[in-house]
Amino acid sequence: MENLVKQIVSNVMAVPVDSIHNDSSPESIDSWDSLRHMNLILALEQEFKVTFSEEQITEMMRVATIISTIKTLQ
Amino acid sequence: MLMSSRSFSDISKELQSENFATMPLLRVAILRNIMIEPLVTYLRYGVLKLGLNAQVTLGEYDTVFQEAIAGSSTVYDQSTDVLLVFLHLEGISWDLARNFNALSSQAIEEEVARIIDYCQAIVHNLRAKSAAMILWHGFLPPAYPALGIFDAQSDAGQSHALQRLNTALRAVVSAVANAYFVDMGLCLARVGESHFYDERYWHMARAPYTLEACAAIAQEDVKFLRARFGKNKKCLVLDCDNTLWGGIVGEDGLNGIKLGTTSPGSAYRELQQQILDLHHRGIILALCSKNNEADVWEVFQNHPGMVLKRQHFAAWRINWQDKATNIRELAVAINIGLDSMVFVDDSAFEVNWVRQELPDVEVMHLPKENIFRARQQLSACGLFDTLTVSQEDRARGSMLTAEAARQQILHSASDLHTYYKSLEMRVVVSFVDAQSLQRVAQLTQKTNQFNLTTRRYSDADIGHFIASAESDVLYIQLEDKFGDFGIIGVCILRYEKDQAYFDTFLLSCRALSRGVEDVLLTQALLLAKRRGATVAVGEYYATRKNSQTESFYGTRGFVAAQQDGSSASKRFIYPLDQALPIHPDYFYAITTHLESE
Repeated sequence: MENLVKQIVSNVMAVPVDSIHNDSSPESIDSWDSLRHMNLILALEQEFKVTFSEEQITEMMRVATIISTIKTLQ
Repeated sequence: MLMSSRSFSDISKELQSENFATMPLLRVAILRNIMIEPLVTYLRYGVLKLGLNAQVTLGEYDTVFQEAIAGSSTVYDQSTDVLLVFLHLEGISWDLARNFNALSSQAIEEEVARIIDYCQAIVHNLRAKSAAMILWHGFLPPAYPALGIFDAQSDAGQSHALQRLNTALRAVVSAVANAYFVDMGLCLARVGESHFYDERYWHMARAPYTLEACAAIAQEDVKFLRARFGKNKKCLVLDCDNTLWGGIVGEDGLNGIKLGTTSPGSAYRELQQQILDLHHRGIILALCSKNNEADVWEVFQNHPGMVLKRQHFAAWRINWQDKATNIRELAVAINIGLDSMVFVDDSAFEVNWVRQELPDVEVMHLPKENIFRARQQLSACGLFDTLTVSQEDRARGSMLTAEAARQQILHSASDLHTYYKSLEMRVVVSFVDAQSLQRVAQLTQKTNQFNLTTRRYSDADIGHFIASAESDVLYIQLEDKFGDFGIIGVCILRYEKDQAYFDTFLLSCRALSRGVEDVLLTQALLLAKRRGATVAVGEYYATRKNSQTESFYGTRGFVAAQQDGSSASKRFIYPLDQALPIHPDYFYAITTHLESE
């Protein structure tokens, strides 16, 4: 699951998958702006068949947080 | 290829790995009053499947009017190929969208009129400043209208107001050249309300649509682009067993196959009806089946459940050859490119084989366990969609079927001369007039193969030629005992002093190798002589597609003019004091209307 999250972040942000780590965030990935964040959230929801709340969406600004949030929903 | 069947993440990845460098660029600009960023990914993916590299520029949020009216735009310019306009009703009329029940009927009328004016100003300004194709996305019909169940009971409802708005808007848009109305209601209906809107992101970012909605909208837009850039398909090549009927006729027999009014045979019957309906809008049909030919025709002739008849098919290959070879032969027989064909089969083996051998052919896999979705799959694909559907298109199906009957005679006729004679061909050569002008201009725009100079002319250009005393525009019509071809050849003569110059000489590929061009040439030379010319000058201008006409003038007694070899254009001279070239004598009747002027 963690690898799939990283793959999705890589696909949506258009950066190589091996440059994505648990602490990757908008600070370390330039293309991770608010619009790409929306694309990322929608792509994650589609792939994991979950729906995030507004609060979760604003918190999911780190790969590790994304992974832990999805875990709580599955 | 339904975009919604692939995930957003996978599509994003494919867009990065794909080598775009060799593909032609398609410059797309989007004007919008909502956030619609995910659509860009789906749009680029759909355009990639057309073999084009979409470069998409998004206008800033809610700047549609400014971008259209302002002196110059940073979003689009003269090089833009396609302009997409998204106006969400909430952004321009909160009252009509959400505060509807507070409006008087007069206020509703005023608001509808105001929005139409607003949209009209935008689309007219866009047209004035850019030649790009405009795709105008209509307003969404309310899934839950303001007056509830009463809304549908009267003209005062919200649904009716939105319908009026969209109808008026469609009229405004379709009156503008190269502008098209995209029916967003269709996208909504396909996806369904609860899967179409994302209320959460509407509030967080003014992004109203789900990924599913964006995929459906992009898919609809791509249909327009496919048609606009000539990538739409023209011919449907059909397998028989487990595609047109359930079961295998060679094993199950005529009475054993599933086809009729009860399930699952009714699903095959309705699929056939869908195919016939495509045929009636001009799609050419062909059969490609591994079978004994007699078994297949027995089903066509004797099975009461058959909707499709033999006469609907332009050509067929029913044998045990591999299907790629058969499809290649069908393309030659029908005289269309492989890239205009769609091959449909239930077998994964056949589908993959054709996909591998003939990458230009679009393949559609209709596995028999999905037969209940086959009809929708065919109608949803949009591969055959065109920007206009003319009377000619509607007649094309029957014209090509007549071609099959002609081929039959060709097989039985001992020689070509006898064959041509048996067709009882009647031709008419006339000056172009108001009724024929559009068709003549269309032929100059569309004809590629038998076209000596490939000059493209608009209706207005042809009008200028008619009005001028220094030119004549002639056309030739053909009819034979199997059908009417209409206007299939054009010749434009320009006169300079004592010279008659063949500006344009073309023949539709529908009427090739019948000697019709010789009749037109002889009549044109006769006319030139009557106009007082002493010399006729033919021109061949080489293009990628017209090499078959390179020797046309040379083999009709014209003499190549001296010129340096570097030019793509070659000239040929015919002194009009010598005897005119002789055209074939197998025509049943040749009528001319060239005396009036």
